[in-house]
Amino acid sequence: MNEGLSLTAILVGIIHSGIRLATPYLYAAIGETFGQRSGVLNLGVEGIILMGAYAGFYVVFQTGNLFFGVLAAAVMGGALGLAMAFVSITLQAEQGISGIGLFMFGLGASSLLFKTTLGTVEGVSGFPELNGCLSGLGIQSDFCAGNIPIVGQIFFGYNLMVYAAFALVPVAWWVLNKTTWGLNIRSVGQNPQAADTLGISVARVRYATVTLGGVLAGIAGASLSIALLNIFQENMTNGMGFIAVALVYFGSWTPFGVLAGALLFSLINALQLWVQVLGLNIPSDMAVMLPYLLTIIVLAVPFKRSLQPAALSKPFERGEN
Amino acid sequence: MMKRFSWLLIALLALGLLAAQCNSTPAPTEAPAQAEPTKAPAQAEPTEAPAKEEAPAPAATEKFRVALVLPSPITDMAWGESIYDSLVRLQDELGGESAMEIVYSEGMFNVTDAAAAIRDYAANGYDLVIAHGTQYGTSLFEIAPDFPDTSFAWGTATDTGADQGLTNVFAYEARAEQGGFVNGVLAANLTKSNVVGVVGPVEAGDAKLYIDGFVAGAKYANPDITVNVSYTGSFGDTSLAAEAANTHIQAGADVLTGSAQQVVGAIGVAKEKGVLWMGTQADQSSLAADIVVATQYYDWTPTLRDMMEKHNAGTMGGEVYSLTLENGGLQMRFSDGLDADALAAAKQAEADIIAGKLDPFNPGEMSASDTGTDMSATDALDYTFDPVRVAIVMPSTTTDLAWSQSLYDSLKQIQDVVGEDKLEIAYSENMFNVTDAAAAIRDYAAEGYNLVIAHGAQYGTSLFEIAPDFPDTSFAWGTTTNTGADEGVTNVFAYEPRAEQGGYVSGVLAAHLTKSGIIGVVGPVNAGDAKLHIDGFLAGVKAVDPNIQVNVSFTGSFGDTSLAAEAANTHIQAGADVLTGSAQQVVGAIGVAKDKGIPWLGIQSDQSPLAPSTVVATDLYDWRATLLEMIKLNQAGEPGGKVLQLTLANGGQTMIYADNLPADAVAAAKQAEADIISGKITIPIE
Repeated sequence: MNEGLSLTAILVGIIHSGIRLATPYLYAAIGETFGQRSGVLNLGVEGIILMGAYAGFYVVFQTGNLFFGVLAAAVMGGALGLAMAFVSITLQAEQGISGIGLFMFGLGASSLLFKTTLGTVEGVSGFPELNGCLSGLGIQSDFCAGNIPIVGQIFFGYNLMVYAAFALVPVAWWVLNKTTWGLNIRSVGQNPQAADTLGISVARVRYATVTLGGVLAGIAGASLSIALLNIFQENMTNGMGFIAVALVYFGSWTPFGVLAGALLFSLINALQLWVQVLGLNIPSDMAVMLPYLLTIIVLAVPFKRSLQPAALSKPFERGEN
Repeated sequence: MMKRFSWLLIALLALGLLAAQCNSTPAPTEAPAQAEPTKAPAQAEPTEAPAKEEAPAPAATEKFRVALVLPSPITDMAWGESIYDSLVRLQDELGGESAMEIVYSEGMFNVTDAAAAIRDYAANGYDLVIAHGTQYGTSLFEIAPDFPDTSFAWGTATDTGADQGLTNVFAYEARAEQGGFVNGVLAANLTKSNVVGVVGPVEAGDAKLYIDGFVAGAKYANPDITVNVSYTGSFGDTSLAAEAANTHIQAGADVLTGSAQQVVGAIGVAKEKGVLWMGTQADQSSLAADIVVATQYYDWTPTLRDMMEKHNAGTMGGEVYSLTLENGGLQMRFSDGLDADALAAAKQAEADIIAGKLDPFNPGEMSASDTGTDMSATDALDYTFDPVRVAIVMPSTTTDLAWSQSLYDSLKQIQDVVGEDKLEIAYSENMFNVTDAAAAIRDYAAEGYNLVIAHGAQYGTSLFEIAPDFPDTSFAWGTTTNTGADEGVTNVFAYEPRAEQGGYVSGVLAAHLTKSGIIGVVGPVNAGDAKLHIDGFLAGVKAVDPNIQVNVSFTGSFGDTSLAAEAANTHIQAGADVLTGSAQQVVGAIGVAKDKGIPWLGIQSDQSPLAPSTVVATDLYDWRATLLEMIKLNQAGEPGGKVLQLTLANGGQTMIYADNLPADAVAAAKQAEADIISGKITIPIE
């Protein structure tokens, strides 16, 4: 139906949408990767994202300072991550159940806070889109990198939180694979007994990764509430945190795997929107199903399944074995 | 080893559940826990006993005793402060506290509390009891006959209750359109961008008069000026007012005005951005002397003095007072250093109004613009029923700006009229899980709620299993037209918004607004009222211009805000320059529309507070008539079996148009509305 739109424009549009949609998943799923690599499954990500989204939004709403907003979301996320760590590591609780508890706490508490402090859906001005304009650097020029056909259009026009999410991927890879701490994380997740005998504190490593996971989930919330949507609404994540957990499995517990999964899921989501907008003769229900269908297909392929941390979701107790 | 800690898990879960369920508004009735809705103890807000503020000393015979009941604080820099200051001035004039006693109850936004306060003051022998809020009228007329020796005063009103046989009520109003007109003339002379913003509270009372006058004055001075009017829907929502001011400034306004106590938020923004402000009611210049350039000041002293004199002379009421520029009740105050020409034009308008040469509502060539739909149309509702308990089970939240909020808001409005003792409301939010919802529905029925509303098409199967067990309870279910009569169920009402009607009108409007010839629809799931809305919308667009392309997309979810935002982005990239959509997900899409400057047509709840200049029209669901009918049928012994529809004709849907819309587009939309109501247009549904 849309003869006026070139195929290039549509492809660029899909990529643009996909990259934006992937942003919160990246933060949350990378954070979850750290926790799972060290052997802790945190199913409460959804609740942390909501609380982070609220905290970030509220601080920006009150102060107008976006970086305070991100900081507040990170602190909130870190606090909840710490709570999860306490329950699952010190108290050795069943991780699946305590994660669900954390999710329900986050859902309820963010709603309660929203109703008592805001009461109605409000907007803030969030992170602006960066178009790479020279005028922004004080140079007298109309040149904007975001206007360069295709390449500029694909790589510019996002806010800072989007770029930061993608920059996080190689950083996380480097930390996990090239640093001693990363080695500790992996060994604690694979064989905590062995790690323990080598003098690595299993509890300390896991506390750190789960708290870091919380910080990143909090920032994922901020990326929604003060960068992409610039609003806060109750239950605005709508299951995003659980998809992030699934993306960690999908990505075989590696940051680049998570990136691939998040991009695939988001690009297909963007594609299905375009399919509908272009009026292609596919029932909308089919289009909506596409991303999930594909996720299941990819998950069904036995792809490096062996990478799952052996001690995932198993509490560690010294001398038990 | 894990069992040791199971109690902690339980504690954590309980904490989570507790928090999840604590999220009801601070209304006295709380949402019950989803598994066992134990009735929350009626923790009524502590009624501020008027006795607290009363001076205990019995009155000396000559001492005049005045009591003031007002919805806002006496320091609100607006409605409340204006009358309190006048009372204090009068007290000084008469010789201080020995000659006149003033007591007050502030913050009486709850009408029931206010009625109690009014009655207590009268019972305590106050000579004049002032009910300083339009909303207090009904209660006042019930109380006044019991105290024939007390004078009551009520405003904003022109009704002294004389036709009901009342003789002891004074009515008063401020002819705020007069000063509004003068401010409008001044604003038109001061603006450089030719865009002026109005931060209104609720479209009623003296706020409406003021704003109508302001718009008329601005247009009178400059027919080409753009006056953007937004209402926050609240008198006290300062943050929303601030956001409204921000929005106006973003839309190019360089002069702002507004009314009610909320404006302190807007004045703060105006000050920060260096935008001029015109005040009304009380003097707001103390807040930002640089930018508050003009104020319409209410001086109630002459009115109050006259009431007191009449009372002492034995006339208890019956008089209607108007504050006008002519009688000095309204005074224009201009700041120093204003542009001389602008000031001269404003003073000329003031003089012409006083001389009767100029009618603010009919100033000459330029007539006052019609600011929006008359919201009083559906207010001919009959609110008489016996005390009733209503429970709602909803898939999203009472603040979703969409489906659930529309129903909750209507129920709350009924409660505001009849009081909490007549209507008890309980609700369970986020019941996206049908099993949980079924448990909640059953528990509410078992708890003895008279009407249990299952506010989601997905709840039907469960409802038909539950309803026969509670034959005395009425259930309601929507969107549907199935009352279960085929299955022998007799106590279920079915309800359905005929969303295709409002959708059609929105479609006509959209077709007139689009320049690119492409319109985008952000749908949730192709079912229920969303489907009706979209079908009607398509029909409306095509009726105007079959060549316009309407791109419809569904996100597959009601709550996926971020996907809805991306859908809106996609539509815009595909060329759409008008957007619409439904369900709570759309707040994400509206955010995108706001950023990109694309008009949005709303449905279900009023979404304009989120983006006043973006949400240009709304098909608002008004459930009051439907709810009242169900309550009354239940009390008349007919617990169900009826299908109720919300239509344009029965007021179940109301179209709200923004003021910045082109006149021809609004005219076409209003014509479509009229034709649907008269039956000239029938809308085909796929």
